[in-house]
Amino acid sequence: MADVAPNSFDYEGLLAACARGERGALKTLYDREARWLMGVAMRIVRNHALAEEILQEAFLQIWKAAATFDAARGSARGWIYTVVRHRALQEIRRTGHEVSFDTEDLENLSDDRQAPDSEAPGIGTAELENCLQQLEPKKRACIMHAFVEGYTHEQIASKLDTPLGTVKSWVRRGLLSLKECLA
Amino acid sequence: MNPADPEDRTVAAAEYVLGTLSEADRESFLTQMAGDRELQAEVGYWQDRLLGLAARIEPVEPSDGVWHRIDAALQFQAGSRPAGIAREYTGQATPSKTSWWNRLGFWRGLSGLAVAASLLLASLLVLQQQEEPQARYVAVLQSPDRLAGWIVQAADREPVKLIPLGDPGPIPQDRSWQFWTKGKDAAAPTSLGLLPAGGATEIPRSRLPDLGDEQLFEITLEPAAGSPTGRPTGPVLFLGRARRA
Repeated sequence: MADVAPNSFDYEGLLAACARGERGALKTLYDREARWLMGVAMRIVRNHALAEEILQEAFLQIWKAAATFDAARGSARGWIYTVVRHRALQEIRRTGHEVSFDTEDLENLSDDRQAPDSEAPGIGTAELENCLQQLEPKKRACIMHAFVEGYTHEQIASKLDTPLGTVKSWVRRGLLSLKECLA
Repeated sequence: MNPADPEDRTVAAAEYVLGTLSEADRESFLTQMAGDRELQAEVGYWQDRLLGLAARIEPVEPSDGVWHRIDAALQFQAGSRPAGIAREYTGQATPSKTSWWNRLGFWRGLSGLAVAASLLLASLLVLQQQEEPQARYVAVLQSPDRLAGWIVQAADREPVKLIPLGDPGPIPQDRSWQFWTKGKDAAAPTSLGLLPAGGATEIPRSRLPDLGDEQLFEITLEPAAGSPTGRPTGPVLFLGRARRA
Protein backbone atom coordinates (compact mmCIF):
# COMPACT_ATOMS: atom_id res chain seq x y z
CA MET A 1 0.00 0.00 0.00
CA ALA A 2 3.10 2.18 0.00
CA ASP A 3 2.09 3.99 -3.17
CA VAL A 4 -1.26 5.07 -1.76
CA ALA A 5 -1.38 8.70 -0.69
CA PRO A 6 -2.18 9.03 3.04
CA ASN A 7 -5.37 10.94 2.46
CA SER A 8 -6.79 8.26 0.22
CA PHE A 9 -6.04 5.39 2.57
CA ASP A 10 -9.54 4.32 3.58
CA TYR A 11 -9.37 3.67 7.34
CA GLU A 12 -13.15 3.86 7.74
CA GLY A 13 -13.71 1.37 4.92
CA LEU A 14 -11.15 -1.02 6.38
CA LEU A 15 -12.76 -0.86 9.84
CA ALA A 16 -16.13 -1.58 8.25
CA ALA A 17 -14.57 -4.57 6.48
CA CYS A 18 -13.20 -5.77 9.85
CA ALA A 19 -16.72 -5.52 11.27
CA ARG A 20 -17.85 -7.79 8.41
CA GLY A 21 -15.21 -10.31 9.42
CA GLU A 22 -12.69 -9.67 6.60
CA ARG A 23 -9.34 -10.54 8.09
CA GLY A 24 -7.41 -9.08 5.16
CA ALA A 25 -8.66 -5.63 6.16
CA LEU A 26 -7.07 -5.92 9.59
CA LYS A 27 -3.81 -7.02 7.94
CA THR A 28 -3.88 -3.97 5.67
CA LEU A 29 -4.42 -1.71 8.70
CA TYR A 30 -1.65 -3.49 10.55
CA ASP A 31 0.83 -3.21 7.68
CA ARG A 32 0.10 0.46 7.44
CA GLU A 33 0.07 1.46 11.11
CA ALA A 34 1.97 -1.13 13.16
CA ARG A 35 5.33 0.66 13.29
CA TRP A 36 3.72 3.99 14.21
CA LEU A 37 1.51 2.42 16.85
CA MET A 38 4.44 0.39 18.15
CA GLY A 39 6.37 3.65 18.54
CA VAL A 40 3.46 5.21 20.44
CA ALA A 41 3.17 2.19 22.79
CA MET A 42 6.96 2.03 23.29
CA ARG A 43 7.15 5.64 24.44
CA ILE A 44 4.50 4.96 27.08
CA VAL A 45 5.57 1.55 28.42
CA ARG A 46 9.34 1.79 27.64
CA ASN A 47 9.68 -1.94 27.08
CA HIS A 48 9.83 -3.59 23.67
CA ALA A 49 8.24 -6.91 24.62
CA LEU A 50 5.45 -5.23 26.57
CA ALA A 51 4.79 -2.79 23.72
CA GLU A 52 4.45 -5.73 21.31
CA GLU A 53 1.98 -7.36 23.67
CA ILE A 54 -0.04 -4.16 23.80
CA LEU A 55 0.03 -3.84 20.01
CA GLN A 56 -1.24 -7.41 19.71
CA GLU A 57 -4.04 -6.96 22.25
CA ALA A 58 -5.02 -3.61 20.78
CA PHE A 59 -5.38 -5.07 17.26
CA LEU A 60 -7.57 -7.87 18.58
CA GLN A 61 -9.62 -5.23 20.38
CA ILE A 62 -9.87 -3.19 17.15
CA TRP A 63 -11.08 -6.32 15.32
CA LYS A 64 -13.68 -7.15 17.95
CA ALA A 65 -14.94 -3.60 18.45
CA ALA A 66 -14.84 -2.48 14.79
CA ALA A 67 -18.64 -2.76 14.56
CA THR A 68 -19.07 -0.18 17.31
CA PHE A 69 -16.94 2.46 15.58
CA ASP A 70 -19.09 5.46 14.66
CA ALA A 71 -17.70 7.85 12.04
CA ALA A 72 -19.90 10.63 13.48
CA ARG A 73 -17.50 10.67 16.44
CA GLY A 74 -14.24 11.32 14.61
CA SER A 75 -11.94 9.50 12.23
CA ALA A 76 -11.16 5.78 12.25
CA ARG A 77 -7.44 6.51 12.44
CA GLY A 78 -7.90 8.68 15.55
CA TRP A 79 -10.01 5.93 17.13
CA ILE A 80 -7.34 3.31 16.45
CA TYR A 81 -4.64 5.43 18.11
CA THR A 82 -6.84 5.99 21.15
CA VAL A 83 -7.40 2.22 21.48
CA VAL A 84 -3.64 1.63 21.49
CA ARG A 85 -2.74 4.57 23.74
CA HIS A 86 -5.43 3.78 26.30
CA ARG A 87 -4.43 0.13 26.32
CA ALA A 88 -0.81 1.14 27.01
CA LEU A 89 -1.87 3.65 29.70
CA GLN A 90 -4.07 1.06 31.37
CA GLU A 91 -1.05 -1.24 31.53
CA ILE A 92 1.32 1.24 33.20
CA ARG A 93 -1.37 2.56 35.57
CA ARG A 94 -2.42 -0.99 36.51
CA THR A 95 1.10 -2.13 37.27
CA GLY A 96 2.08 1.18 38.85
CA HIS A 97 5.06 1.01 36.52
CA GLU A 98 7.08 4.17 37.12
CA VAL A 99 8.68 5.40 33.95
CA SER A 100 12.07 7.01 34.23
CA PHE A 101 12.34 10.52 33.02
CA ASP A 102 14.92 11.15 30.37
CA THR A 103 15.96 14.75 29.87
CA GLU A 104 16.54 14.03 26.20
CA ASP A 105 12.90 13.17 25.76
CA LEU A 106 11.72 16.65 25.08
CA GLU A 107 14.70 17.40 22.87
CA ASN A 108 13.88 14.35 20.81
CA LEU A 109 10.47 15.90 20.35
CA SER A 110 12.01 19.14 19.20
CA ASP A 111 9.44 21.67 18.23
CA ASP A 112 10.49 22.10 14.65
CA ARG A 113 10.79 18.44 13.86
CA GLN A 114 8.91 17.55 10.70
CA ALA A 115 7.75 14.01 10.25
CA PRO A 116 9.83 12.71 7.34
CA ASP A 117 7.24 10.13 6.34
CA SER A 118 4.14 10.86 4.28
CA GLU A 119 2.35 8.07 6.15
CA ALA A 120 2.93 9.72 9.54
CA PRO A 121 -0.27 10.04 11.54
CA GLY A 122 -2.10 13.35 11.72
CA ILE A 123 -5.00 15.36 10.43
CA GLY A 124 -4.17 18.98 9.69
CA THR A 125 -0.75 18.40 11.25
CA ALA A 126 0.79 21.63 9.96
CA GLU A 127 -2.02 23.61 11.56
CA LEU A 128 -1.55 21.73 14.83
CA GLU A 129 2.20 22.42 14.76
CA ASN A 130 1.57 26.07 14.14
CA CYS A 131 -0.82 26.30 17.08
CA LEU A 132 1.54 24.37 19.36
CA GLN A 133 4.25 26.93 18.55
CA GLN A 134 1.95 29.67 19.79
CA LEU A 135 1.47 28.02 23.17
CA GLU A 136 3.60 29.02 26.12
CA PRO A 137 6.45 26.46 26.25
CA LYS A 138 5.40 25.14 29.68
CA LYS A 139 1.85 24.51 28.58
CA ARG A 140 3.10 22.86 25.43
CA ALA A 141 5.42 20.66 27.49
CA CYS A 142 2.51 19.52 29.70
CA ILE A 143 0.44 18.43 26.71
CA MET A 144 3.42 16.72 25.06
CA HIS A 145 4.35 14.84 28.24
CA ALA A 146 0.76 13.66 28.68
CA PHE A 147 0.31 12.54 25.07
CA VAL A 148 3.73 11.18 24.24
CA GLU A 149 4.97 9.78 27.56
CA GLY A 150 1.53 9.03 28.99
CA TYR A 151 2.26 11.01 32.16
CA THR A 152 -0.39 11.79 34.78
CA HIS A 153 -0.79 15.31 36.17
CA GLU A 154 1.18 14.16 39.23
CA GLN A 155 4.05 12.81 37.12
CA ILE A 156 4.22 16.00 35.06
CA ALA A 157 4.26 18.07 38.27
CA SER A 158 7.06 15.97 39.67
CA LYS A 159 9.12 16.01 36.48
CA LEU A 160 8.69 19.74 35.94
CA ASP A 161 9.13 20.41 39.67
CA THR A 162 5.96 22.48 39.66
CA PRO A 163 2.95 22.37 42.03
CA LEU A 164 0.18 20.01 40.94
CA GLY A 165 -2.45 22.76 40.83
CA THR A 166 -0.27 24.82 38.51
CA VAL A 167 0.22 21.87 36.16
CA LYS A 168 -3.53 21.16 36.08
CA SER A 169 -4.13 24.79 35.22
CA TRP A 170 -1.44 24.77 32.48
CA VAL A 171 -2.97 21.66 30.92
CA ARG A 172 -6.44 23.18 31.01
CA ARG A 173 -5.44 26.56 29.62
CA GLY A 174 -3.10 24.98 27.10
CA LEU A 175 -5.88 22.79 25.70
CA LEU A 176 -8.34 25.69 25.55
CA SER A 177 -5.79 27.89 23.73
CA LEU A 178 -5.02 25.06 21.34
CA LYS A 179 -8.69 24.63 20.50
CA GLU A 180 -9.17 28.35 20.04
CA CYS A 181 -6.17 28.50 17.69
CA LEU A 182 -7.34 25.46 15.70
CA ALA A 183 -10.87 26.83 15.25
CA MET B 1 -16.50 18.23 34.91
CA ASN B 2 -19.54 20.45 35.01
CA PRO B 3 -21.57 19.02 32.09
CA ALA B 4 -23.21 22.39 31.47
CA ASP B 5 -19.93 24.29 31.10
CA PRO B 6 -18.57 24.26 27.52
CA GLU B 7 -14.95 24.80 28.64
CA ASP B 8 -15.18 22.02 31.19
CA ARG B 9 -16.62 19.72 28.55
CA THR B 10 -13.90 20.32 25.98
CA VAL B 11 -11.08 20.08 28.56
CA ALA B 12 -12.53 16.87 30.02
CA ALA B 13 -12.86 15.34 26.52
CA ALA B 14 -9.26 16.30 25.67
CA GLU B 15 -7.96 14.96 28.99
CA TYR B 16 -9.93 11.75 28.49
CA VAL B 17 -8.13 11.30 25.14
CA LEU B 18 -4.77 12.27 26.66
CA GLY B 19 -5.35 9.87 29.54
CA THR B 20 -4.77 12.40 32.34
CA LEU B 21 -8.16 12.03 34.07
CA SER B 22 -8.02 10.40 37.50
CA GLU B 23 -9.74 7.04 37.82
CA ALA B 24 -12.80 8.64 39.46
CA ASP B 25 -13.00 11.48 36.91
CA ARG B 26 -12.58 9.05 34.03
CA GLU B 27 -15.40 6.91 35.35
CA SER B 28 -17.78 9.83 35.73
CA PHE B 29 -16.73 11.14 32.30
CA LEU B 30 -17.59 7.77 30.71
CA THR B 31 -20.94 7.79 32.52
CA GLN B 32 -21.71 11.25 31.18
CA MET B 33 -20.45 10.41 27.68
CA ALA B 34 -22.61 7.27 27.40
CA GLY B 35 -25.74 9.38 26.86
CA ASP B 36 -24.21 12.57 25.47
CA ARG B 37 -23.59 12.50 21.72
CA GLU B 38 -22.08 15.99 21.68
CA LEU B 39 -19.50 14.87 24.20
CA GLN B 40 -18.78 11.80 22.08
CA ALA B 41 -18.17 14.11 19.12
CA GLU B 42 -15.90 16.30 21.29
CA VAL B 43 -13.82 13.21 22.09
CA GLY B 44 -13.62 12.49 18.36
CA TYR B 45 -12.48 16.06 17.73
CA TRP B 46 -9.58 15.79 20.20
CA GLN B 47 -8.71 12.30 19.05
CA ASP B 48 -8.24 13.64 15.54
CA ARG B 49 -6.48 16.87 16.50
CA LEU B 50 -4.01 15.30 18.93
CA LEU B 51 -3.25 12.52 16.44
CA GLY B 52 -0.69 14.85 14.85
CA LEU B 53 1.43 14.60 18.01
CA ALA B 54 1.98 10.93 17.21
CA ALA B 55 3.84 12.00 14.08
CA ARG B 56 6.62 13.33 16.34
CA ILE B 57 7.20 9.90 17.81
CA GLU B 58 9.88 7.76 16.22
CA PRO B 59 8.30 4.67 14.63
CA VAL B 60 9.50 1.29 15.89
CA GLU B 61 9.27 -1.90 13.85
CA PRO B 62 7.49 -4.66 15.74
CA SER B 63 8.84 -8.18 15.21
CA ASP B 64 7.08 -10.47 12.73
CA GLY B 65 5.78 -12.57 15.61
CA VAL B 66 3.25 -9.90 16.57
CA TRP B 67 1.20 -10.21 13.41
CA HIS B 68 1.54 -14.00 13.46
CA ARG B 69 0.04 -14.10 16.94
CA ILE B 70 -2.80 -11.76 15.93
CA ASP B 71 -3.44 -13.85 12.83
CA ALA B 72 -3.41 -17.08 14.85
CA ALA B 73 -6.06 -15.65 17.18
CA LEU B 74 -8.18 -14.67 14.18
CA GLN B 75 -7.75 -18.12 12.59
CA PHE B 76 -9.58 -19.65 15.52
CA GLN B 77 -12.72 -17.92 14.45
CA ALA B 78 -12.24 -18.47 10.72
CA GLY B 79 -15.28 -17.67 8.67
CA SER B 80 -17.02 -16.04 11.58
CA ARG B 81 -17.89 -12.49 12.39
CA PRO B 82 -16.41 -10.58 15.28
CA ALA B 83 -18.68 -10.56 18.31
CA GLY B 84 -19.00 -6.77 18.25
CA ILE B 85 -19.26 -5.75 21.85
CA ALA B 86 -21.44 -2.67 22.23
CA ARG B 87 -21.01 -0.03 24.91
CA GLU B 88 -24.68 0.75 24.83
CA TYR B 89 -27.91 -0.59 23.44
CA THR B 90 -27.50 0.91 20.00
CA GLY B 91 -28.41 -2.19 18.10
CA GLN B 92 -25.26 -1.62 16.02
CA ALA B 93 -23.38 -4.62 17.27
CA THR B 94 -23.30 -7.36 14.68
CA PRO B 95 -24.94 -10.51 16.01
CA SER B 96 -22.26 -13.15 16.19
CA LYS B 97 -22.68 -16.32 14.18
CA THR B 98 -19.60 -17.77 15.89
CA SER B 99 -20.00 -21.22 17.35
CA TRP B 100 -19.20 -21.78 20.97
CA TRP B 101 -16.15 -23.82 20.25
CA ASN B 102 -14.67 -21.27 17.92
CA ARG B 103 -15.11 -18.61 20.54
CA LEU B 104 -13.62 -20.81 23.22
CA GLY B 105 -10.61 -21.29 21.00
CA PHE B 106 -10.29 -17.58 20.51
CA TRP B 107 -10.39 -16.88 24.24
CA ARG B 108 -7.54 -19.26 24.88
CA GLY B 109 -5.32 -16.76 23.14
CA LEU B 110 -6.53 -13.81 25.15
CA SER B 111 -5.71 -14.04 28.83
CA GLY B 112 -5.45 -16.28 31.84
CA LEU B 113 -8.86 -15.19 32.99
CA ALA B 114 -10.37 -16.00 29.63
CA VAL B 115 -8.75 -19.42 29.74
CA ALA B 116 -10.28 -19.99 33.16
CA ALA B 117 -13.63 -18.96 31.71
CA SER B 118 -13.25 -21.44 28.85
CA LEU B 119 -12.48 -24.29 31.21
CA LEU B 120 -15.34 -23.44 33.54
CA LEU B 121 -17.71 -23.15 30.59
CA ALA B 122 -16.61 -26.47 29.14
CA SER B 123 -17.23 -28.19 32.46
CA LEU B 124 -20.60 -26.47 32.83
CA LEU B 125 -21.62 -27.61 29.38
CA VAL B 126 -20.65 -31.22 30.13
CA LEU B 127 -22.52 -31.17 33.44
CA GLN B 128 -25.59 -29.75 31.82
CA GLN B 129 -25.68 -32.34 29.09
CA GLN B 130 -26.11 -35.04 31.74
CA GLU B 131 -29.31 -33.49 33.11
CA GLU B 132 -32.83 -33.66 31.73
CA PRO B 133 -33.36 -32.12 28.30
CA GLN B 134 -34.35 -28.50 28.80
CA ALA B 135 -33.33 -25.49 26.74
CA ARG B 136 -30.25 -24.15 28.52
CA TYR B 137 -28.34 -20.99 27.82
CA VAL B 138 -24.96 -19.70 28.86
CA ALA B 139 -23.53 -16.21 28.43
CA VAL B 140 -20.02 -15.07 29.25
CA LEU B 141 -20.02 -11.37 30.11
CA GLN B 142 -16.89 -9.53 29.01
CA SER B 143 -15.61 -6.09 29.88
CA PRO B 144 -14.99 -3.53 27.10
CA ASP B 145 -11.35 -4.67 27.20
CA ARG B 146 -12.51 -8.19 26.51
CA LEU B 147 -11.81 -9.74 29.87
CA ALA B 148 -14.36 -12.37 30.85
CA GLY B 149 -15.84 -11.36 34.22
CA TRP B 150 -19.13 -13.19 34.79
CA ILE B 151 -21.05 -16.22 33.56
CA VAL B 152 -24.84 -16.27 33.23
CA GLN B 153 -26.61 -19.62 33.27
CA ALA B 154 -30.29 -19.74 32.39
CA ALA B 155 -32.88 -22.40 31.65
CA ASP B 156 -36.61 -22.39 31.07
CA ARG B 157 -37.65 -23.74 34.45
CA GLU B 158 -34.84 -22.61 36.72
CA PRO B 159 -33.61 -19.40 38.35
CA VAL B 160 -31.06 -17.42 36.35
CA LYS B 161 -27.62 -17.75 37.89
CA LEU B 162 -24.99 -15.01 37.69
CA ILE B 163 -21.55 -16.25 38.71
CA PRO B 164 -18.41 -14.08 39.00
CA LEU B 165 -15.18 -15.44 37.51
CA GLY B 166 -12.80 -14.56 40.29
CA ASP B 167 -13.15 -11.60 42.62
CA PRO B 168 -15.19 -8.85 40.96
CA GLY B 169 -13.74 -6.27 43.38
CA PRO B 170 -15.67 -3.71 45.44
CA ILE B 171 -18.67 -1.81 44.12
CA PRO B 172 -17.64 1.88 43.99
CA GLN B 173 -19.02 3.99 46.82
CA ASP B 174 -22.41 5.59 46.14
CA ARG B 175 -22.82 3.42 43.05
CA SER B 176 -24.41 0.11 42.20
CA TRP B 177 -23.97 -2.62 39.64
CA GLN B 178 -27.23 -3.25 37.85
CA PHE B 179 -27.97 -6.41 35.91
CA TRP B 180 -30.01 -6.21 32.70
CA THR B 181 -31.28 -8.43 29.95
CA LYS B 182 -32.70 -7.80 26.52
CA GLY B 183 -34.17 -10.47 24.23
CA LYS B 184 -32.97 -10.68 20.66
CA ASP B 185 -36.01 -8.83 19.34
CA ALA B 186 -37.01 -6.90 22.46
CA ALA B 187 -37.39 -3.14 22.14
CA ALA B 188 -35.82 -2.30 25.48
CA PRO B 189 -33.76 -3.93 28.22
CA THR B 190 -35.34 -5.19 31.44
CA SER B 191 -33.71 -4.69 34.82
CA LEU B 192 -32.91 -7.85 36.74
CA GLY B 193 -31.97 -5.84 39.83
CA LEU B 194 -28.89 -4.63 41.64
CA LEU B 195 -26.04 -7.01 42.35
CA PRO B 196 -24.94 -7.79 45.91
CA ALA B 197 -21.26 -7.14 46.67
CA GLY B 198 -18.98 -9.89 45.50
CA GLY B 199 -20.99 -13.05 45.30
CA ALA B 200 -23.07 -15.12 42.96
CA THR B 201 -26.71 -14.18 42.48
CA GLU B 202 -29.87 -16.04 41.51
CA ILE B 203 -32.81 -14.34 39.89
CA PRO B 204 -36.27 -15.93 39.56
CA ARG B 205 -36.94 -17.03 35.99
CA SER B 206 -40.23 -15.07 36.15
CA ARG B 207 -38.29 -11.77 36.20
CA LEU B 208 -37.20 -12.40 32.60
CA PRO B 209 -39.78 -11.46 30.01
CA ASP B 210 -38.23 -13.95 27.61
CA LEU B 211 -35.32 -16.35 27.26
CA GLY B 212 -33.67 -17.32 23.99
CA ASP B 213 -30.58 -17.56 21.86
CA GLU B 214 -28.60 -14.32 21.40
CA GLN B 215 -30.31 -12.76 24.39
CA LEU B 216 -28.18 -9.93 25.74
CA PHE B 217 -27.10 -9.78 29.39
CA GLU B 218 -25.15 -6.87 30.79
CA ILE B 219 -24.01 -5.16 33.96
CA THR B 220 -23.90 -1.37 34.07
CA LEU B 221 -22.65 1.12 36.63
CA GLU B 222 -25.57 3.06 38.08
CA PRO B 223 -26.39 5.40 40.99
CA ALA B 224 -26.59 3.69 44.39
CA ALA B 225 -30.37 3.20 44.12
CA GLY B 226 -30.16 1.85 40.58
CA SER B 227 -30.99 3.52 37.30
CA PRO B 228 -33.49 6.34 37.88
CA THR B 229 -34.97 5.89 34.40
CA GLY B 230 -35.57 2.15 34.27
CA ARG B 231 -33.09 1.95 31.40
CA PRO B 232 -29.29 1.63 31.60
CA THR B 233 -27.76 5.07 32.12
CA GLY B 234 -24.18 4.29 33.15
CA PRO B 235 -21.27 2.71 31.27
CA VAL B 236 -21.44 -0.97 30.41
CA LEU B 237 -19.08 -2.88 32.69
CA PHE B 238 -19.72 -6.36 31.29
CA LEU B 239 -21.76 -7.61 28.39
CA GLY B 240 -22.40 -10.88 26.59
CA ARG B 241 -24.95 -12.80 24.52
CA ALA B 242 -26.54 -16.07 25.57
CA ARG B 243 -25.90 -19.21 23.52
CA ARG B 244 -27.95 -22.33 23.64
CA ALA B 245 -25.81 -24.93 25.37
